[in-house]
Amino acid sequence: MSDADARAKRVVIADDDDDIRGLMTIAATRAGVEIVAAVDNGRAALDAVRAGDVDLAVLDISMPGLNGVEVAEAIRSDELTRSTLILMVSASVQLLTDHGVVADRSDSFIVKPFSPRVLSARIREMLELEEPA
Amino acid sequence: MTIDRWLSRIPIDSPSAFMKQVPTIAGFAIAAIIALIPNGVPVTNVPLFWGGMGLVAIASALAAVVPWRRFHSEWTVVVPVLSLLAVALLRLGTGSSVSPFAVLTLLPFVWIATEEGRVNILIAAVGTFIVLFAPLVIDGGTRTPGDVVRAFFSPLIYLIVAIVINEIAHRMRLQVKAAHESAEQQQALLAQAVVAQDELVLNEARLKTANRLIQSIWNAVTEQSVIGTDLDGLIDVWNPGAEKMLGLTEKQVLDGKHHVIDFHLHEELEQRLQEMDARFTTVSSIDDFSALVDTVRAGSADVRDWTYVRPDGKRVAVQVAATPRLDENGHRVGFIFVATDMTQAREFARLKDEFVGLISHELRTPLSSILGYLELMRDDDESPLSEEQLQYLGVAERNAHRLLRLVGDLLFTAQVESGRFPLEIKDVDLGGVVSTSVESSAPVAANAGVTLVSEVPDRPVEVRGDPVRLGQAVDNLVSNALKFTPRGGTVTVALRPDGEQAVIAVTDTGIGIPAVELSQLSQRFFRASTATRNAVPGVGLGLTITKAIVTAHGGRLDIASEEGVGTSISIVLPVETPQPVTEAIPRAEVTK
Repeated sequence: MSDADARAKRVVIADDDDDIRGLMTIAATRAGVEIVAAVDNGRAALDAVRAGDVDLAVLDISMPGLNGVEVAEAIRSDELTRSTLILMVSASVQLLTDHGVVADRSDSFIVKPFSPRVLSARIREMLELEEPA
Repeated sequence: MTIDRWLSRIPIDSPSAFMKQVPTIAGFAIAAIIALIPNGVPVTNVPLFWGGMGLVAIASALAAVVPWRRFHSEWTVVVPVLSLLAVALLRLGTGSSVSPFAVLTLLPFVWIATEEGRVNILIAAVGTFIVLFAPLVIDGGTRTPGDVVRAFFSPLIYLIVAIVINEIAHRMRLQVKAAHESAEQQQALLAQAVVAQDELVLNEARLKTANRLIQSIWNAVTEQSVIGTDLDGLIDVWNPGAEKMLGLTEKQVLDGKHHVIDFHLHEELEQRLQEMDARFTTVSSIDDFSALVDTVRAGSADVRDWTYVRPDGKRVAVQVAATPRLDENGHRVGFIFVATDMTQAREFARLKDEFVGLISHELRTPLSSILGYLELMRDDDESPLSEEQLQYLGVAERNAHRLLRLVGDLLFTAQVESGRFPLEIKDVDLGGVVSTSVESSAPVAANAGVTLVSEVPDRPVEVRGDPVRLGQAVDNLVSNALKFTPRGGTVTVALRPDGEQAVIAVTDTGIGIPAVELSQLSQRFFRASTATRNAVPGVGLGLTITKAIVTAHGGRLDIASEEGVGTSISIVLPVETPQPVTEAIPRAEVTK
């Protein structure tokens, strides 16, 4: 088992809505991951990912400054962060499809409103984590 | 008054009988004067002399009094015949054969001879013979061989003269008649010409008015470009709207060199040609111009979105209606292209899409929080809720989901309107769609005390379609049926193949819909009067969405209802849907 497998999975959460961000944080915590940062804008999310060793970024698309798509592009274009998984979140199906987000820039996506149970399951699935007892 | 002017007033063309008698009266007056003056012509027989004078007076009186025009023209000769007899009596009274008044014979003779009809030749000749021969019969003592010869020879000459006069008069009458007819014809033609000229003036005025109207309309059309071409697309009509839209004046364009495709985006024409290439076209040789007029050549008007390109390179999004241009015989001589600038309309549509997206986001985000945190409360194992609290939570969740569905419906309706219809076409077993819908609605039916029946055939009934959207359509119908059916009623969802079609019929024993409202059912926000009367919840979007989904699948919605008996709504789908009506986009729930 490698070091990466031994340590807790590190996750960055970004959403400009405090309540949704809180909900995501709870769902991710229940999935058994470590929350590296829970931020309300794209720039902070990118900085947190670049700070190192982030396994998954949960990104809302509509955010001030850098939006989720732009953050995803930056993560993908950087050799150091390219392996970070990306879970895109949006209330608009159109936004998810219009920008080719699903096809090109993310590993998975989920539509608001989402169930915390479903989000937890999705995070575990992406990070290949066992369901807590 | 001059003599010429006085004579000009005498009706020579058609003189009356009295006018014709005037020369005879004058002749006899002169004869009377000559006979009665001293040393004049001796009166040899006073009774005959005065008899002659009296007879001519009677003839003249008849000529003046009798309305001869009312009688047949032949009767008029009575007057000159009497005058001839008067001349005969005058001669007998003034020396018989030697009387100098034989010359008076000429006056009535000419009258008779000029009258119409060959019989008058005979009358004139016989009358003259009587005048000349009478003295020989009555006054036998003075008869000489020369008198006898003269008495027979002179009437013969008179006969010849009568024939000539009669013929000349006849021909003159014909000429006069012809001249009259000609004059009448000319008069009629003149009258017609005057009328025609009046009409011409009137029509010219109307034409000018119509031209002014057309010109006014033509100049008023400044927001649409109207371009006319010949059969090859060469521009020969260019309105002010075209000037404004494309930045070239009429004078600059109508030089016989500008082609309508010069103002089109080449890539669009090529794309259209490729589409045409995939099907039968009406032309054997395909060129760029055919891309514009292929449909019109086939006999239909064509309305299509294009992009005009101005000479300065600026592009204008337009909707162009292409129609044939016909001559006075109905033959196609070219084409007319009427273009409307769609820049603002498309910008409006884009803003509307943005607005819908924004609203969708802004409404879904708080709902996400509500539903998410409610779920956290329900799942909190450390401090579980009481039964009562769970019940309250259920109410909150149910209403949050209801709000979410409403937002979804509004968003979906907006997408249908804007032409962005999310469909994911695949093979769909409608049996599964119906079963899923019935299963998910079973708890609602049970709560409402309504029996929900599913009738699905054993073998699969497959169509090409979007299973989620079709499920939404069936869900809507079942949800409606349950809402409109009182406790104790039945809702049946039946699937059956019907030839090349598949039919999903949702039938209830509910309150029904008035017949007059059936046609309005699929209008947005329409609610049947029975629904509002019975306080059935809803906003009137379900059937609108269902119809949009079914229509997008190439199907139709059949509705039958009777108030107080129930309603049956059938989704009729083609088994082989040729292609999705709108571009499909992936569904949100699908995960890579």
